[in-house]
Amino acid sequence: MPLIVVGVNHRTAAVDVRERLSIAPSRMAETLDDLRSLDGINGAAVLSTCNRVEAIVSASAEDVIEPIVDWLTQRAGTARAELEKHVYILRHGDVLKHLFRVASGLDSMIVGEPQIAGQVRAAFLASRERGALDSLLSQVFDQTMRVAKRVRTDTGIGEHAVSVPYAAVELAKKIFGDLHGLQVLLIGAGDMGELTAEHLSAFGLEQIFVANRAHDRAIELAERFHGQAVKFENVEPYLATCDIVIASTAAPHFVIESDHVHRALATRRRRNLFLIDLSVPRNIDPSIAGIDGAYLYNIDDLQQVADSNRELRMQKAHEAEEIVEREVDGFRRRLVAQDAVPTIVELQGRLEDIRTHELEKCLRRMGPVSADQRAAVEQLSTQLVNKILHYPILQLKEAEEPAERETLRKTIRKIFGLR
Amino acid sequence: MSPNLTLYAALALYAAGTVVALATLFTREKRPQHIALGIMIAGFVAHTVWIGTICVRTHHPPLTNLPEAAGFTAWLVFAIELALFIRYRVHAASFFVYPLVLMLLTLSAVVHDPFIKTPAGISRLFITHVFLTTIGVAGLLIGLAFGVLAWAQDRALKTKNRGALWDWIPSLNVCKTVSYRALATGFSIYTLGILAGILWSYRTTAELMDLRVKQVGAVVAWILFAIVLQAYINDTYRTRRTAVIGACAFVAIMVAILGIHHA
Repeated sequence: MPLIVVGVNHRTAAVDVRERLSIAPSRMAETLDDLRSLDGINGAAVLSTCNRVEAIVSASAEDVIEPIVDWLTQRAGTARAELEKHVYILRHGDVLKHLFRVASGLDSMIVGEPQIAGQVRAAFLASRERGALDSLLSQVFDQTMRVAKRVRTDTGIGEHAVSVPYAAVELAKKIFGDLHGLQVLLIGAGDMGELTAEHLSAFGLEQIFVANRAHDRAIELAERFHGQAVKFENVEPYLATCDIVIASTAAPHFVIESDHVHRALATRRRRNLFLIDLSVPRNIDPSIAGIDGAYLYNIDDLQQVADSNRELRMQKAHEAEEIVEREVDGFRRRLVAQDAVPTIVELQGRLEDIRTHELEKCLRRMGPVSADQRAAVEQLSTQLVNKILHYPILQLKEAEEPAERETLRKTIRKIFGLR
Repeated sequence: MSPNLTLYAALALYAAGTVVALATLFTREKRPQHIALGIMIAGFVAHTVWIGTICVRTHHPPLTNLPEAAGFTAWLVFAIELALFIRYRVHAASFFVYPLVLMLLTLSAVVHDPFIKTPAGISRLFITHVFLTTIGVAGLLIGLAFGVLAWAQDRALKTKNRGALWDWIPSLNVCKTVSYRALATGFSIYTLGILAGILWSYRTTAELMDLRVKQVGAVVAWILFAIVLQAYINDTYRTRRTAVIGACAFVAIMVAILGIHHA
């Protein structure tokens, strides 16, 4: 039973094509019904994210590909020739490899990004809820999620941040562990500082204090983060209570001096202070980096962390590709073996019938025999049948291409007179 | 069947687990770490059976001689490490704890002669002394291991140079908290153990203590651990001085454990 993927992604189609094909979650059920109504489709799922729209189907034959392309063309509201430039079509083993790679984040724009696994899961779950998953696609889905989990666990591909704001979050976690209940002081309203504060705020911070030379802007930002605006010239006391300080101002001088940090740390007892200086020229005195209990990272330090993480991800991606290759191979073998089971069972049954029938005839002709003699003849007949069956069964289990498997199955059925 | 068969099984499994865990320092792969943990847990099961066998055969806790005490300390250290792993998922501690457990159990296997029936005249006070001291030592060793991790994490964050341990070490806060709690708890129990020992010594010999290796080692270790703990309380543990004192405290504890054999 062929597996087929027809779709477009960020490499084959620009955003204007992808957006025309994208499917809102509220319309997914209707879309699945529409796709399944095409002749020859046994099971279907649709993966629609910012970077890809794919129809994943199990079908009775490959001739469903053309109707699926037509279906996509209709959805895109464009000429078929135009859409064909962007569409890719994958079959059988390539589908497995593709799905395993996609769910593991290996086919993503940012390699190793973790969100895609959840999106693939959501796509298959939506299909399962709609009753659109047949047994084959259901197995493929389960295996896809298992592989994605294994890739993440074994390689840790998604563990390291590859952008400056996330690098800051990663470092904050390395210092404080759980960010829940921490207080952050944001000095200045630079874009990068705002973005970093936004990423940090997703981790359950207790409070964000915002200081800006233009106090109105501080109030505006504080409202956005459900925080509190403080006067720019009055930030020093907050160093004693806040755990993370982000400086992102346009000031041409240091806003935080080493004396400020010394005084703050004296009152903080054993609590560390993480200072992030995203400004150029720098706003935090670099000598603070030498103070015990204070950890200072400037924009270059964070960029370096992000760059080395990116390199690390590429290394991990090689390991991940090897895992995917092994998993595809193993799963394909299982599917092929499973596909051959009905024929194998029938074949074994047929030869067992012949064996028992002929054995009885033979024993009747031989007249009275001892139990040992009877057992010896039975053993001989069983071994003969097993030897005869060995190669046909092996061939059935190992024929990977569906066409080859079908030919083999027909030939065996014909030779052994199976129904 | 030799009652020490499970000891040798535990030793072999601990050795295999330690080698696999240390190898991951170079590969940074998580799977071998999980495999190492699995092997170590299998070793721990064998180790538990060995300790249980001692208790059943000798009718006393495994604390009356060096192999028993070293074996029991190793068992406790791994049990605490396992509990901390379940709570914090700290892989990095294994780089210190697994070799330590292996070393202590090797000591048991090399020195031999557990399974001695309860010596005549052994008192509850003596058992209490050894029991508390052993638990205290296990806590202190775990505290030291996490202290090393906290120091390594602090260095990595300060120098902005991620070393081989970066991915394996949990947050600085977790390392410091676990280290401090283990040291504080271990130190308190160890102190009670030493007090029980002094009391037992006074009852049996009419002297508070003598100057044998184990007593001197135990008292020196107590003083050094007190300094390390003080450094934690003052938040000056990062200094090289504290690291050196911690290493000396470790050596003193080992001397005290080895000294049991010559008691």
